[in-house]
Amino acid sequence: MDADPRLAHHFSTPAVQAHAARLGMWLFLGTEVLLFGGLFVGYAMYRTLYPAAFVACSHHLDRALGTVDTLILITSSLTAAMALHLARGGRARLAAAALGATLALGLAFLAVHGHEYARDIAAGALPGRLYHAEVHLPGAGLFYTLYFFMTGLHSLHVVVGLGLLGWLALRTARGEFSDGWDTPLELGGLYWHLIDLIWIFLYPLLYLI
Amino acid sequence: MDSSLAAEETAPAGAAHYLLCWLALALLTGLTFGLSMVELGRWSLVLALAIALSKGTLVVLFFMHLRDHRGTSRLVLVISVMFVLLLSSLVVADVLTRFPPALPPR
Repeated sequence: MDADPRLAHHFSTPAVQAHAARLGMWLFLGTEVLLFGGLFVGYAMYRTLYPAAFVACSHHLDRALGTVDTLILITSSLTAAMALHLARGGRARLAAAALGATLALGLAFLAVHGHEYARDIAAGALPGRLYHAEVHLPGAGLFYTLYFFMTGLHSLHVVVGLGLLGWLALRTARGEFSDGWDTPLELGGLYWHLIDLIWIFLYPLLYLI
Repeated sequence: MDSSLAAEETAPAGAAHYLLCWLALALLTGLTFGLSMVELGRWSLVLALAIALSKGTLVVLFFMHLRDHRGTSRLVLVISVMFVLLLSSLVVADVLTRFPPALPPR
């Protein structure tokens, strides 16, 4: 049998290899859920302890910009999903363009979030004992500790995702994923969708309630 | 292709699915934003989390292809989410049932 150079010798068929790669990626995403899960648990605990401070501080975040962030990220998820779909349909250039759109939206998300950080820092809404903004309730500093930690870790994931998708966009444009082998594109897409998924939960917890 | 793997796959989601999923996500985002302007008391937390959960389910099923791929991938996600829910509910139960002087000052 003339082996496909991309098929590792311990897998019987490319389908089995793709299945194993997908499961490995989901295990990694499971650890990411647990990583953010620790912060969600911290949020649940301190929100239970200091409900008034959390609601008051949440009202000081820019709810409209948080909604813009959400719309940017769900649209970037759509373009990432379309990129895989287009690459599977053999349209490599369009797929690369869809990934380019995802990159642009990711950068727009970081820009909007950077603007929000600048606004929070100018208002003295800083984490922990550095906090000196308008809400004078115990727990206000803790809200901003969690806010900066959760959104900061999330934005760090966006930066990593941008690097990953940029690399995948170059490979897609070179037509590497148009012959039925697109595992890297699928798994890179999964990482980007996880970033979207985490934000979908951060948005109501931090901005809306 | 291995028959046990072939049995796991249904017809994959198409472009129309992705567009509809995005539309539903955008509408739910608008809904949760609108609801946050209304004074609903403690229901605002419940509603916002219920909407976030439905949005998350859409992302996972369509964009992350769990609708198309069954089996272990689904199990991994469900178990990790269960651990987060278990840990947060037990932590909240701990805080709510503590002897008051054992709580930090508020």
